[in-house]
Amino acid sequence: MTAQNESPRVPVREGLFSGPLSDLDRVTLAGSRCSSCGETSLGSKTLCANCGKETVRDIALGTRGTLWTYTVVRHRPPGNYKGPEPFAPFGLGLVELPEGVRVMAPIHCDVDKLKIGLPLRFKPYLRKDDGREVVAFAFEMEETEAANV
Amino acid sequence: MSDVVIIGAGIHPFGRFDKSYEELGAAAAAAALRDAGVEWSQIQAAYLSRMYLPATSGARILRRLGSTDISIVDIEAACASGGAALRQAVLAVRSGEIDLALVLGCEKMPRGFMDPSMIYSAWQIELGMSLNPAYWSMRAKRHMHDYGTTERQIAKVAFKNHRNSVHNPNAMYQKEFSLEEILASPLVCDPIRRLEICAPDDGAAALVVASAERARKLGAANPIQIAACCHTIARYSADFRCPADSMSATADNPGPTEVAANQAYERSGLGPKDINCFEVQDTDAFCEIEIYESLGLCALGEGGRLIDEGVTEIGGKAPVNMSGGLISKGEPVGASHVGQIVELVSQLRGTAGKRQVEGAKVALGHVLGAGGNCAVTILKR
Repeated sequence: MTAQNESPRVPVREGLFSGPLSDLDRVTLAGSRCSSCGETSLGSKTLCANCGKETVRDIALGTRGTLWTYTVVRHRPPGNYKGPEPFAPFGLGLVELPEGVRVMAPIHCDVDKLKIGLPLRFKPYLRKDDGREVVAFAFEMEETEAANV
Repeated sequence: MSDVVIIGAGIHPFGRFDKSYEELGAAAAAAALRDAGVEWSQIQAAYLSRMYLPATSGARILRRLGSTDISIVDIEAACASGGAALRQAVLAVRSGEIDLALVLGCEKMPRGFMDPSMIYSAWQIELGMSLNPAYWSMRAKRHMHDYGTTERQIAKVAFKNHRNSVHNPNAMYQKEFSLEEILASPLVCDPIRRLEICAPDDGAAALVVASAERARKLGAANPIQIAACCHTIARYSADFRCPADSMSATADNPGPTEVAANQAYERSGLGPKDINCFEVQDTDAFCEIEIYESLGLCALGEGGRLIDEGVTEIGGKAPVNMSGGLISKGEPVGASHVGQIVELVSQLRGTAGKRQVEGAKVALGHVLGAGGNCAVTILKR
């Protein structure tokens, strides 16, 4: 059994992460790479999201990417939103990873610093939810970048 | 293949009403039948377009017109539901099995943002990815980055559509706003502002559809030909409207509007230059700019120029959203495309009053929404 199964932690979505949830430093986003069409998509899959073939294998996606586009969400999202309280406007963007996939993610940084092309780093984090530890994710600014702006 | 025509069109205004969805729907259906000069008992099949209504809504609405034993089905394809329903009626009439059908679009929706659990997964809602305008806004930001489209150009679309709505008694908001007022309205999701997005609301619209031969026998005064009615779902990564969790940086599939429009152009033998007026999915003002490009009204990246040059105003070369668009009508999802077709029928009949595009002979309706659902209908007189 892997450490992932022994851990009481649960992922915010099944198949979204790669690596042991007990050690967040080793957790990345999971991807699925297809040897038939060459596409890489987000999350572990049994069929390719593009061509539908079974020729897929799970990979760990890179932890560094750049901001491809973004917005600032200025209204509290409807439904069961579990972000920081009280609600504060936050960045939401598509982060382009080296494997050729753009991932929708909250961007944890000062919203005034958001710009297309911004270097970002994957950031898994823990959220308490009904006594369980839920692993959620965001992207944040690279430290060097943060220090320079 | 026999031509399929519209011989009757009716609408219940879009807005917020203290009425049941059955009342709204039955009013529109009765108006369309009256316009066609056809009795409910003559209709051979009925199709209800809706997204937020309960099961068997079509039957529940239409039994108000009288008991019947015909096929009545509810159809859902997100914001393109009306196109999917109209297409079913067209296919049934074209098959020869029936020659007179009713297409009804009806919706009654709560105020505020749509219930996210309809289209988003629980984890997306928890992480704050469930605000539809966020997706539209991310598209706008990238377009601005790639092509230099400006916030002012986006605001100009909202200005045009709000101004057109002043002459549309069926719109929810019939109010003109200045460009400055629009640009001063609060940001919802950067760069999209409150006066640049549409709101969910209530409404209903209906069409009586017939074979050309049946229309002749009925003595229909002014039949409008359905030259094409196409519906599609976007291929992998061709659209990140919502509820996308990612997209490909390498796949280059055509977007839903390109696919549906190209199908409709091919089937009708008409191109964007042959079309005199358009009703399109301005869920947000930026979206309309992108649709100019996807429909082929201009090259990729030139949508902003089109609005600057007034090409899409009533009186311009390619008028868009003479009705005021979704921005002023609201979007009662199931009724939206059917309502567009009611507007375009009146344009082609020359009865659109102050919204009239002079001499309009060919018209196009377009809707686009969740999951890359898109429908394009081309009408001809």
